[in-house]
Formats: sequence, C-alpha cells, structure tokens
Amino acid sequence: MPVLKNIAAIAKGMSITFMEMFQPTIVENYPDGPGPLKGAKFQARFRGTHVLQRDENGLEKCVACFLCAANCPSNCIYIEAAENTAEQRVSGAERYAKIYNIDYNRCIFCGYCVEACPTDAITHGHGFEVATFNVSGLIYRKEQMLAPMPAHMGANAVFNQDEIGAGAPAVAVQGS
Amino acid sequence: MPDVNITVDGKKVAAPAGTLLIEACKNAGIEVPSFCYYPNLSLQGACRMCLVKVEKMPKLQTACTTVISEGMIVATNSDEIRQARKSMIEFLLGNHPLDCPVCDAGGECELQDMAFSYGAAESKYMEPKNHKEEQQWSPVVYFDRPRCILCYRCVRVCGEGMDVWALGVQNRGVSSIIAPNQDDHLECEECGMCIDICPVGALTSGAYRYKTRPWEMNHVGTTCTHCADGCKTTLGVRRADTGMEIVRGDNRDKSGINGDFLCIKGRYAFDFAHHKERLTQPLIRKDGRLTPSTWEEAFEVIGSRLTEVRDCDGGQAIGVLGSTRTTNEENYLLQKFARVVLQTNNIDHHRTADFPAFVSALTERPEAAASMRDVYNAPAILLIGNDPTEQHPLLAWQIRNNVRLHRARLYVINSQPIKLRRQATSFLQIPTGAEAQLSSFLAGQDSAIDALLSGPTSRDEWISLREKLRSEPGLVIIFGSEIRGSDVVSLVKSASGIHDVKFICLGDYANSRGAADMGVYPDLLPGYQRLADPGKFHEEWGGVPRAVGFTLPEMIESATAGKLKAWYVVGANPVGRLALDPFAFSQSFVVVQDMFLTETAVIADVVLPAANAYEKSGTFTNTCGDLQLVKKAGEVTGTKSDFEIIVRIAGSMGYDVRKLVPFGRGMTADMGQSRGAQSGEVDRHGVWLEASGLELKMSPFDPMAILDEIQRLLPGYAVSRMDLLAGNAQHTALPAGKAGALHDPKLIVPADNNLFSSGTLGRYSRTLNSVIENRHKKPEELEVAAD
Ligand code: SF4
Ligand code: SF4
Ligand code: SF4
Ligand code: SF4
Ligand code: SF4
Ligand code: FES
Repeated sequence: MPVLKNIAAIAKGMSITFMEMFQPTIVENYPDGPGPLKGAKFQARFRGTHVLQRDENGLEKCVACFLCAANCPSNCIYIEAAENTAEQRVSGAERYAKIYNIDYNRCIFCGYCVEACPTDAITHGHGFEVATFNVSGLIYRKEQMLAPMPAHMGANAVFNQDEIGAGAPAVAVQGS
Repeated sequence: MPDVNITVDGKKVAAPAGTLLIEACKNAGIEVPSFCYYPNLSLQGACRMCLVKVEKMPKLQTACTTVISEGMIVATNSDEIRQARKSMIEFLLGNHPLDCPVCDAGGECELQDMAFSYGAAESKYMEPKNHKEEQQWSPVVYFDRPRCILCYRCVRVCGEGMDVWALGVQNRGVSSIIAPNQDDHLECEECGMCIDICPVGALTSGAYRYKTRPWEMNHVGTTCTHCADGCKTTLGVRRADTGMEIVRGDNRDKSGINGDFLCIKGRYAFDFAHHKERLTQPLIRKDGRLTPSTWEEAFEVIGSRLTEVRDCDGGQAIGVLGSTRTTNEENYLLQKFARVVLQTNNIDHHRTADFPAFVSALTERPEAAASMRDVYNAPAILLIGNDPTEQHPLLAWQIRNNVRLHRARLYVINSQPIKLRRQATSFLQIPTGAEAQLSSFLAGQDSAIDALLSGPTSRDEWISLREKLRSEPGLVIIFGSEIRGSDVVSLVKSASGIHDVKFICLGDYANSRGAADMGVYPDLLPGYQRLADPGKFHEEWGGVPRAVGFTLPEMIESATAGKLKAWYVVGANPVGRLALDPFAFSQSFVVVQDMFLTETAVIADVVLPAANAYEKSGTFTNTCGDLQLVKKAGEVTGTKSDFEIIVRIAGSMGYDVRKLVPFGRGMTADMGQSRGAQSGEVDRHGVWLEASGLELKMSPFDPMAILDEIQRLLPGYAVSRMDLLAGNAQHTALPAGKAGALHDPKLIVPADNNLFSSGTLGRYSRTLNSVIENRHKKPEELEVAAD
C-alpha cells in the first residue's frame, strides 16, 4: 500500500516539526531583543573587534614591536612607532605605537595577532557590529580600539569629545 | 699554499694551510655558531659558542682559534656539542633582559637566533636580573649594558679596523663591561661600525633607535652621496606623510667595494632629505620676491626666457653650472642640453681635482688607473697630500686594512702629520705647498730637492726613498688635489719605470669624477674628448658649438660685465661654497635647482625643488673610476629629479625631447621602476607624456636610456650592464688617444670637507650638526697610540 506508506512518512516528518515547535528557541532575537546587546549573546571566547589594553597605570601596553603585523595572515595591521619621551610617556617601554590601524575590510578575526603579542596588548573584544556603507570607515584607528582608562584613574569615557568629532563611534564598543 | 685535508661531520674538506677551522667549515657549508669571531679581526675566543669536537683532543675545542691540520676529524653536531652550546646560551641569558619586542636588534639579533636554535630561554636563576639604565655615549652611539654579551667585537673593530681605540673593557671576569674612552661618553670618529658589528642590541644608533623594525622597512642598495669614495649603502625606508623616509643606512651584506664599512656620513647623514627647510614647491620671483608657484608656470617662464636669451644674444650669453652630486646621466644630459639646446659651451662645475690632467698624463696607458679594490690588495701604496681619514674615510679604511692584513708598505708624504702616518712604513713631511717640487724630484729632477728639505728628513733619505719607490712593483700612487696640471704629468712620468704601477687622483664629492667624465667642462666633451675634435658627438647630436666656452671665473667676469644674460645652476651653490660675488648673478636671469634655499638660490629668479641622489636612479663614478648604481630609496612629494627637470625645460623650449634622450630604442624599456612606480610618479608623468603625444610606457625621463648612449659613445664606460644592475662596482677605463687637457691649476678649489662636513648638504643634516656641536664643547682630543 504505497499511499499509506507515504502518509506514514509525512506523519513521521511532521511529528518532528511539531515536537520542535514546543522546544525553547535557541535562535537569538537580534537585533530586536532586550538590553544593550539587542538580544545578541555569545561565548566569552568570541573573537570580535580588537581592544588595545592598558596596564594598571593607564599606560598603553602596546610597545610597537610589529609582531602582530608580522603574524597577521591578511596583512591588515599598520603601525608607526615612536619613542617615548620624559614629557610624553604613552607606553611602559621605550617605544609606543604612534599609529595603530586595523583594516577590518581584511581582518579575518583569526586571533593570530593576539597570539603573537608579547605584552598582551592586543586582545579580541566582543564588538561585531562593524558593517558600514563606507569602506574607509572600516579602518579602525588606535583611538577607536584603546581600552578605557582603568576606573581608579578616574576616566571612564572611552572617547573624549574631540575623538568623537574625528570619527570615533560615540558609543563604547560592546564587551570591551 | 698546499691544501690540508680534514673531515668535518664525515665530509671531506680541503683548505689552504693556516685556515681557521671555523672558516674551513663555513666554506664547506657547515655552520658553526659564533659570537666573538669576526673575519679579519683578531681572534678573541671569548664566547665559547663555536665549540666542536676534534678527535684525539681531550676537550671540546673552539673552532675560531683552531688552525686546521692534516687528517683532523671534526664533529660539529653531536649531543655533547649541542648541550655545550645550550649551556653557553644559558650563561649569556643569565642576566640578559630579553626585551626583544622593544630591542632594536630584534629580528636580526644573533643571540635571538641562537636562543631559537638551542632553547635555554628559561633561566634557572632565582635572583632578579641586574639592571642598568641605557647610556647615551655620543649623538649617534647608545649603549644598553645588560644586553651586552661581551664578545669584544666593538672594541676590536674600533681599534683594529678604525684605528680609533675609543672603546675598551673595564674590570675583569664576570664584572667586565664595555666602556667609552671619556668616562661617560665617546670622542671618536662616530662611524657607527661598533653599532653595526654588535651581534646583539647592546649598541644602538641614535638615528634609528625605536623607529621601526628591520622587517618593516624596504631595503634599497644604493651609493653614498657624500664623499667621492662611493661606498655602497643599503638604505632602510618606510612610508611617511611626505613620501618615503629613509630611517637607516648600513651595509650588512658586505656586497660593495666597502665591505661592511661606512663612515658617519654614509651611515647617518641621510636626514637632510626631511629637513624642514627642504623646498617642495617651485619659487618664481614676482615683484622682487620669491613666490611659491606651480611647475607648469615655472617651466613656462624658464622656457620662454632662455629661448629669448639664446635667440637674441646667442648661446654664449648663457652660463650653465653642473653639479658634483647629480648622477652621470644627469651630468651627461645637462652638458648635452647646454651644447645642443642652449647652443653654448659655457658649462663648468666646482672642480675639486684635476681629472683632465690625470687623463692626459695617462693616455698612453689608460689601464693604469687603480680601482678602490686595488687599494686593499696592492703590495705598496704611496700617498701624496690629502688626509684620507678626514676626506676619504673608505680609502683610509682600505689602506689601514691592507697594511694590517696584507702587510702592505705604505709611504706617506704630506705637509701635515696626518693620522695615516701611524700605518706608514715611512712618513716624510714636506713644507706646505711643496708638492709640485716633490713630483719633479720624484721624476728625477735632483735640483727640486732643496724645497723639500725643511723637515727632519735628510737629502740621502729622500734619495733612498725615491730608489725604494722605484723598486716597488704593483705600487699604487694616490694623490690629492695638491698635485695639479703639469705636476700630475711629472708624477706619472716619475713612475714610468715601475712595473704595474697604478694611480688614483682624489676628487672630493660623490660624483666629482662623474661630472668630469661626462664632460661638464667648457672645452671637453664626455670622455675628456677635446672640443676641437668632437668626432662622433658631432654626428650623434647633430652638431656641437665649436667655440670653447667660458670657465666659471670667466662666466663670472662676463656676468659682472653684463654680458652673461642667463644662468642655469643645477645642484650647485657657487655663492656659498666658492665665495663668489652674488652681484655676478644679480643682473641676469638665474635658474637654480636645488634642495634648499642656498645662498645662490636666494638670488635666483626661479628656484626648482630638486630630488637628491637618494631619491632617484642612475649611476655614480667614484674618484677611482668605479661605476656604481644609484637607486631610488626615499621620496619627498613635490620634488622632481634633475633629469626630469632638464627634459621638461628642453620640452618647454620647444626642443624635441626624443633627440635629447634616445628613449625606447636602447637596451631598456622603462616601465616606471626607475621612477618609483609605487609612489604615483608614473601617473604624474603620464599627464605630461599624454599631452606631449608620447607613449606612456617608454618615457624620456628614463636615465637608463641616457646610460645606453653613454655606454655607446664612451668606450671606457662599456662595462657589463648586468653586473652594474646587480649592484656590483665596475671599474671604468680611462680614454685613450687624444683626450684630457692641462687647465689652469687655479680652477681647482678643494672642498675641504672633513669627517663631519659635506658641503652645503652637511649643513642640513641634523646628525652631523649635533656631532659637531657636541665636539665644540669638549677640550682638545688626545690621540691614542696604535698598538
Ligand atoms: S599589539 Fe602587541 S604584538 Fe602588536 S605591536 Fe603592540 S605589543 Fe607588538
Ligand atoms: S639583544 Fe637580541 S636577544 Fe637580547 S633583547 Fe635584543 S633582540 Fe632580544
Ligand atoms: S663609532 Fe666608530 S670610532 Fe666611535 S667608538 Fe664606535 S667604532 Fe669607534
Ligand atoms: S657591545 Fe655588542 S659588540 Fe660590544 S662586546 Fe657587547 S655585545 Fe659585543
Ligand atoms: S667614506 Fe665617503 S662614500 Fe663612504 S660612507 Fe663615508 S662619505 Fe660615504
Ligand atoms: S666564536 Fe669561538 S669563542 Fe667566540
């Protein structure tokens, strides 16, 4: 009886469908969900846009060793180094990154830069909303990636007004 | 010497007797690690990295101090040896900061490489490491003591190689430290050899420290733009807001005539390129003031004014001054432009040596011009005049090392007690200005001896010196600008009996010899061909003006009398360097192309911002006649090479540039490489090429096209293009037959540069200036005795 056989097959298939209908959903309701993340959820190990860390004194950890750039398979990190002076101390060592750009047109979020960094300066944050209508906006500057000053140093704002004027996003990068 | 046979790791190796084991292994392709061993320096045996096992010897041996002997059986790679090496590294790293991420040596550090190969980066010490702040020893030398591995290479290269002896060792054993000669700072020649030779990042350079990392730069092998010795230098360049910035100069690959030698100028004095006073826009005098303007307007003004003067007053109303720092191609092009487009032979340059007399003295045996390599290998050298330590650092290095390593005999005759007397077999001092009598005396005129006898040297000693020199086969005679005109001829004659004698005539600037070879003279064409007999140039260029032109003093005279209506000055600063009266320029139409607003440029009517020799391609000829490639390394937006400027001026005068530059039919097609394809220059050229109806890919701005013509017309320059492009120095031959001329000796004005000055260029180098300032503060320097 081929007809009965077909009906049984359909019933079996649909039973799975109906069973799943009453299970709790695992799809996130992004971007219509609640909270600052608009419903997005991810694992702690998620590799999002980069954060350049500071040490406990608020100095930048990056010493412009170029190892991340050397290790980057898509060659998207651009650094210009400069020397710290007594008047202007930016990092803890002799050298700091005067310019540190990551080109998110090319970054593949592989984490090799993080692996390479001898000072744990570069890390992956959880930022993922990088889409834009303007590709040049995908080249992130150091100011856009720097971690905020540690709380005990009194500065919580990620960006000051000048930096926002110069193109930094006005909202702190999520998860940083 | 007969070969000695040894076995290394089962491989049969043969090498001449007396070879060090480490060298024999290297020649057989077996690497033995080493820190303190450095070829051509004395042996140290300090680091124990080169330990190998030699059969029948009880303990491991240092390969760098062991001389090979017949039948030796050597193992370089057993477990025992690897363990020994690992332990040595562990010792070295015991107090080493391992701050590789910020260390300048990181990426090209020999210790880093060894730690990678043998491990041992973890320290077994519990104690904190001994730290010592970094010290600045001089404007260019910094010392980071914890990173030093006490290999003593710096001490040895400064003493043995440079004969400066400014570095030494303090204390003994584990507390040894490298120390400068003046308590807390250095007073030395600032050559930077110690920094270069340091296997780790202990000695770092003030010019380069913390700027970038070795692998982040592009490396361009080119030729130094300062003195006339022509060191090959590898420039490290990186991108900057205004084009490409040079951040480092060295020659670690030892590929040039200079090996790894560079003096302070070649190593650090490239910073003039980014001096804040660098011109980046053409200036035109409007209402009495130099006003920034566009290239188009500048070319239009120059084109119409020069055409006007040429057509109304004739070519003899235009004076052209060439440069001793522009490439051969530019010099050739400039004199061709003067003769063919401006129709004048009024072309001259700042002469610092009498090359025309040198050529005319040697027309019988043009092969007798020595190369820079000959100075290192000659069995005997006679040096008359000049002070190479100050004015020709590479030459002095070659002489010193020839004496030290090959036991060459050096005879120095000078009016001053120059430093090279320390290496001399005999040093004879003569009264200032007696060089002319000296060459007559050497040529056999005994009556000239009286003028030489004021010093402690007796008549007999002079005679015996002359006899000794005559029996020195292979002698290389080097003379400075003190010997000119007919003295050159008598000096050459004096040596006619010596077997295989060779000569070097010392000029002062990077391309002094090139300017002379390329015919930047009012009476000589390229290759010192006399104007009276233009030969193939006449046919090739379709006519050469016949009347002999003005020399520079004659041009000045004519301009002062109001007869010279226009000046075209390329890369020269006659007002500043030759102390000429600016009045001579004030009544004419003056075009100056230079990097800075020099004393000459401020009185010009049009100033064009030119690129320097590190920013263009072409060739240089050093004072010995060694031809070398110049490659584009840096770039400053807004400037143009002198080559391009000359072609554009010719174009704006309505001349067919195809006749000026025979592009597109020689050996090369310029695809933009020579002009910095990466920097958009090709596009900028494209606009003009398109507008002038020229094909884009083969352009008249291609110096190689002129090199084709030079090689075709000057037999001496017909060297292998392949070798030249590979970056090797090629010795050019002097012209034979009727060439050269005896000029008025007064036309030669020595540049009188010393180790820390370099004409107008040196004034704009921050490094050179800071070294000079630093010295003025210090008391008189004491000389250290050679060992
Ligand atoms: S982020 Fe880390 S690896 Fe990259 S340059 Fe800075 S210190 Fe070096
Ligand atoms: S000297 Fe070499 S091993 Fe030592 S910190 Fe510098 S790069 Fe690292
Ligand atoms: S810079 Fe040259 S002269 Fe000075 S200490 Fe170093 S090697 Fe010696
Ligand atoms: S400073 Fe450098 S070259 Fe000199 S001893 Fe120390 S490691 Fe060797
Ligand atoms: S010796 Fe002369 S050519 Fe060599 S680096 Fe010094 S200035 Fe340049
Ligand atoms: S290289 Fe042989 S002991 Fe240093």
